[in-house]
Amino acid sequence: MGDKDNKGIGFLDKIRTWARVNSPWALHYNSGSCNGCDIEILATLTPRFDVERFGIKLQGSPRHADVLICTGPVTLQSRDRLRRIYEQMPEPKFVVVVGSCGISGGVFQGCYNVLGGIEKVIPVDMYIPGCPPKPEAIIFGIVQLLEALKAGRKPDPVLIMPETQLESKV
Amino acid sequence: MTLNLNPLVILLIFPGGLFLIVAGLAYEYVDRKLVARFQNRIGPRWFQPLADLLKLLSKEEITPRGVQRDLFYLLPLFALASTLTASLYVPMAGLTPAYAFQGDLIVTIYLLSVLTLSMGLAGASTVDRFALVGATRTLTQLFSYEAPFMLALLGPAIAAQTWQIRTINEYAGQNLWLMIAQPIGFLVALLGLMGKLELPPFDAPEAETEIVAGALTEYSGRGLALFRLSKDIELVIGLTLVAAFYLGGIHSPLDFLIKTLGLLLVVALLQTLFARLRIDQVVGLWWRIGTILVVIQLIAIVIGRYIGSSIF
Repeated sequence: MGDKDNKGIGFLDKIRTWARVNSPWALHYNSGSCNGCDIEILATLTPRFDVERFGIKLQGSPRHADVLICTGPVTLQSRDRLRRIYEQMPEPKFVVVVGSCGISGGVFQGCYNVLGGIEKVIPVDMYIPGCPPKPEAIIFGIVQLLEALKAGRKPDPVLIMPETQLESKV
Repeated sequence: MTLNLNPLVILLIFPGGLFLIVAGLAYEYVDRKLVARFQNRIGPRWFQPLADLLKLLSKEEITPRGVQRDLFYLLPLFALASTLTASLYVPMAGLTPAYAFQGDLIVTIYLLSVLTLSMGLAGASTVDRFALVGATRTLTQLFSYEAPFMLALLGPAIAAQTWQIRTINEYAGQNLWLMIAQPIGFLVALLGLMGKLELPPFDAPEAETEIVAGALTEYSGRGLALFRLSKDIELVIGLTLVAAFYLGGIHSPLDFLIKTLGLLLVVALLQTLFARLRIDQVVGLWWRIGTILVVIQLIAIVIGRYIGSSIF
């Protein structure tokens, strides 16, 4: 979110945005998840889905990463680690939350050792709901984030299923 | 083919600066795409290395606490400068090297090692434990492959009886491909190049499953971009060097493209084929097998020259 004010002005800014959108390196952190979402994230990185098509690469070091992919609710133990990893990343950085627990605490809400969603500790740019979300949903979410970056705005909520259809199902 | 160029053009555009940067990015793309295809993936888009480079250049550069500031900022520049300089003595794109003197082979080999040395120092100048382990491994690996790699490049030099890359290139073009005459040397040179570039199976120094990102763990933004760029450039120069020595020399741009891309195909295949070696296995491989084989071949070449029979 580094230079949100001077969006799209000038040639250099355009190049910078282009490079940023086309090369999001990801870092994956599990702050107390049940591992379901982590398995789906790993599935996303396999040759079957091949996210290198979009330039997405999993990095080991927070210093190299642009996108922090978080799963799970924040436990008291992992709160400081999560914050430290976020602070170790260089600007501009983005946070994507994968799974219901990272959004609200999910089934772990109210546990004695659980703070709640990721947003209680660090600012979040994108939420991908699901328990766990499918690899297609994760890719869709990341692409939404990149589209929003390209336009220089915050990602909008996207409803996959039209509301009328949703009501008829219920 | 000879080209008379202004020294400034040589340094900034061809073969020193811009050409090498573009070639380095293009070769990185080909390498990544080939590996992806071997793994049954679609692979990155053609501009991926450029996007990575520009993104890293425009990112914030963090100075970690406890770091040697001057070294931390100078080492990436140092690495890039020395790799770019190495191209002056190598027949880039099939043209005669821009500069040549007796013994430029040794200078080139040393200039190519500066990248690894810089990375080792960069890791050692931080207080991060992963960077320190990575630096130790980088330097350990440097000491293991450097001697066999040099001996492997010595074979053609002895055969051509010169220390000049330009003359060796001409000699290789006039004789039987040295890949057939000195197969061990070719293999060791190619694997040595992979060790130099820390490609799998020699990527223990940056093993992301054990030590995060090795010596470059603490680098972000510009420093990382320059190190990556130097590595890409070193890939091009190394491939050119091996092709010039062992694949019958490089005498035209088409020659250059076919031979280096052919070598890159083999390198990408080896990367896909093998899993990462532990650092002790790397050292063992180079000193127990690599060096001894190359030394045997070197003795054979020397004896062959003395007897006067043509084993080349």
